[in-house]
Amino acid sequence: MSKKKISPQIVILLFSGLLFGFFLLLPMVTILAKSVYGSDGVTFEFYANLFAGGNIFQAFLNSVLISAASGIITTVLAFIPAYAVNYTNIHKRLKKIIAALVMLPMLLPTITYGFAIIYSLGKQGIITKILGRQIVDIYGTAGLIIGYVIYTLPISFMLINNTMGYIDKKFMIVSRIMGDSTLKTFVNTVITPLISTLAVSFIQSFTLSFTDYGIPAALAGNINLLSTRLYNEMLGSLPDFNTGSAVSILMLLPSVLSILLISCLNRYNIRYNKISVIELTKNRVRDWICGILSGIIILLVLSMFTVIFLVPFVEQYPYKMQLTVSHVTEIFTDHTLMNVYRNSLIVAFLTALLGSLLVYACALVSARRGEHRHYGKIPDTVSLITNTIPGMVLGVAYLLTFRGTFLQNTFAVLILCNIVHYFSSPYLMMKSSLEKLNASWETTARLMGDSWLKTVVRIITPNAIATLLEVFSYFFVNAMVTVSAVIFLASTKTMIITAKIKELQHFANFNEIFVLSILILSTNLAVKGLIRLFAAIRMKKGK
Amino acid sequence: MLELKNIEKSFGNVNVLRHINFSVDDGEIISILGSSGSGKTTLLNIILGITQPDCGEIRFNTHDITKVPMEERGFNIVFQDYALFPNLNAYENIVYGLRNKPDISTPDEVQDLIDLLGLREHLNKNIEQLSGGQKQRVALARTLVMKPRILLLDEPLSALDGVIKESIKEKIRQIAKEFHLTTIIVTHDPEEALSLSDKVMILGSGTILQYAKPDEIIHAPKDGFVTEFILRQLEIKRSNILALFDGGEVRTAV
Repeated sequence: MSKKKISPQIVILLFSGLLFGFFLLLPMVTILAKSVYGSDGVTFEFYANLFAGGNIFQAFLNSVLISAASGIITTVLAFIPAYAVNYTNIHKRLKKIIAALVMLPMLLPTITYGFAIIYSLGKQGIITKILGRQIVDIYGTAGLIIGYVIYTLPISFMLINNTMGYIDKKFMIVSRIMGDSTLKTFVNTVITPLISTLAVSFIQSFTLSFTDYGIPAALAGNINLLSTRLYNEMLGSLPDFNTGSAVSILMLLPSVLSILLISCLNRYNIRYNKISVIELTKNRVRDWICGILSGIIILLVLSMFTVIFLVPFVEQYPYKMQLTVSHVTEIFTDHTLMNVYRNSLIVAFLTALLGSLLVYACALVSARRGEHRHYGKIPDTVSLITNTIPGMVLGVAYLLTFRGTFLQNTFAVLILCNIVHYFSSPYLMMKSSLEKLNASWETTARLMGDSWLKTVVRIITPNAIATLLEVFSYFFVNAMVTVSAVIFLASTKTMIITAKIKELQHFANFNEIFVLSILILSTNLAVKGLIRLFAAIRMKKGK
Repeated sequence: MLELKNIEKSFGNVNVLRHINFSVDDGEIISILGSSGSGKTTLLNIILGITQPDCGEIRFNTHDITKVPMEERGFNIVFQDYALFPNLNAYENIVYGLRNKPDISTPDEVQDLIDLLGLREHLNKNIEQLSGGQKQRVALARTLVMKPRILLLDEPLSALDGVIKESIKEKIRQIAKEFHLTTIIVTHDPEEALSLSDKVMILGSGTILQYAKPDEIIHAPKDGFVTEFILRQLEIKRSNILALFDGGEVRTAV
């Protein structure tokens, strides 16, 4: 009999356990402790002080109402392009373009959205100029809602589009044969199976808006929000870490509630045994209406971003409109800014590399059959927890926990924060993909003399490479665009683009803000393109 | 000889296997026949070594192997879905085991196996280019390269149709004979079990209802279940097929 060896799965569990212990549990405990532990021991005075002012209620309420309104609008709007992609006979290529364009804003940081809206719909905004008058006052509720909708539309679209893809459309035929009216068929075979996804979409966009800092940073105006309050408590003129922690806990609560609600709702998703491909009924009117509406939505969203490509390329917007590349060349020769870009690349690349490895290792333990599978609940739980913690709260928690340690002002702390912050989605993606692979590979390979690690390297990894690349790209793009956590952690030495944009806001340096945004966008597009190319080459080789 | 003595297994409160006692002689083909939930997969997993029995003993050639881990028992299995590695071609799948144990089969033996299973023209194909029967034969070859002491086959025919089924049956018989290889087949199909094996074990709700030669099962069913489900099924099949040949004209006339 062989000696009892420590299996690689146990090593993975121990390592990830330690990692999440130090970089998830410890910071969260710290922030909680900070909110109830003053110089005289346990106290609720920070919460009391917070509520005594009264305007924390107002901030909370504003955040909830504005986020909820955005959630509803987003979900309704996202339904239209998703319907166009899944239920019309619009040309396949056009469908692909619709989907790609709807998701495009994901490749930009939310902080850019805010400034783009100012330059589009503000007093001197380009759309204001074209229309001859300002359509809404952007500093406040309207601006925030527009920003949040643009921010969460891609995610909402992704959710709805995904579920629609898994709805068995044969039921539409059954419904019609049974004599249902068009409306009844629509309600029964499209809306009903989507109900829980629509709810999830609402909650998800609510949570994202509720916890976002990038958009309020530019557009909050005089509106008091929880996120701006948190920022001011921590990094304002009079930092108060205790009160800041208390605000963080306030922000955490609805978020935790939302995610728990989502995980409950997901259980009510209708699962079809198989997805049959059917020919959708011919209906040119429907196709045109859906196509045009989707086009309008995309146009409205993208019109907000045209300024990014205009402002830095003219002499001085809006007074001197001669085209020039002098701003751009200036920025590209500015060592500080190029250093910031380089920093962002380093952080995004390492986040993607290490994050993918961690996600893969954890998913291998939880998704594949074996004696350690029951421990898979550990990464599952971690994934659920990380999903509930808003980036801002995580950032504040890291700031409090690692202040004065060797990790302060390092790239390591930014990378770790990103990995923990974005762990959930790629982990679930990886897990579901590994679960779909043949369950008997490990047993078969072991009977032929493989160790578990050999099987992982020789068999599992080559067959999981497509998802691994997707996970890599998810981490990379998000590390490039994230604002909320890193504004608390980036230092002068480790400044990254999104934090720099926040800093440039003080100097109203919009040329630089927009050029840096273009840099982020093109880097993300380039990385996504490269990964596609790589995957396509692999596919060809395999054939 | 493989012997199982007093094997018991439960999952939670469910007794999946009770009082399992039987033995298999060298070179014999036996089938474990049962419907889903009868415990046949658990029994297979216990023989293979994936699952530990709660109590009882497994002996192979008089050695107690109950606690010997799966990979050291020297048994091997072809799973129902074949578990072929899609990132490797047919040939690379067949010789996969040689990476770890280069001397287990000589190059000549591998080539003989390839010819025996009629795979020569498919060696460079990707797995998804192979038909069901070809996949089954690649999986068989991959397993036989390892020279297993016992060959386990999990529903080897259920994913195949008509003529292919018969030809794979023939191959399994041929292999068992040629290598004097003890072969244990798990199946839910009485026709498969009775027409392919030297002995058939009928499993019902975790116990052995009958373990005998096919002839004996047909002519002396030991249990109501055996008569009711196994024999009746075969009789219906027989009369349907006979009706096709004899009564065909009568039917069309009606």
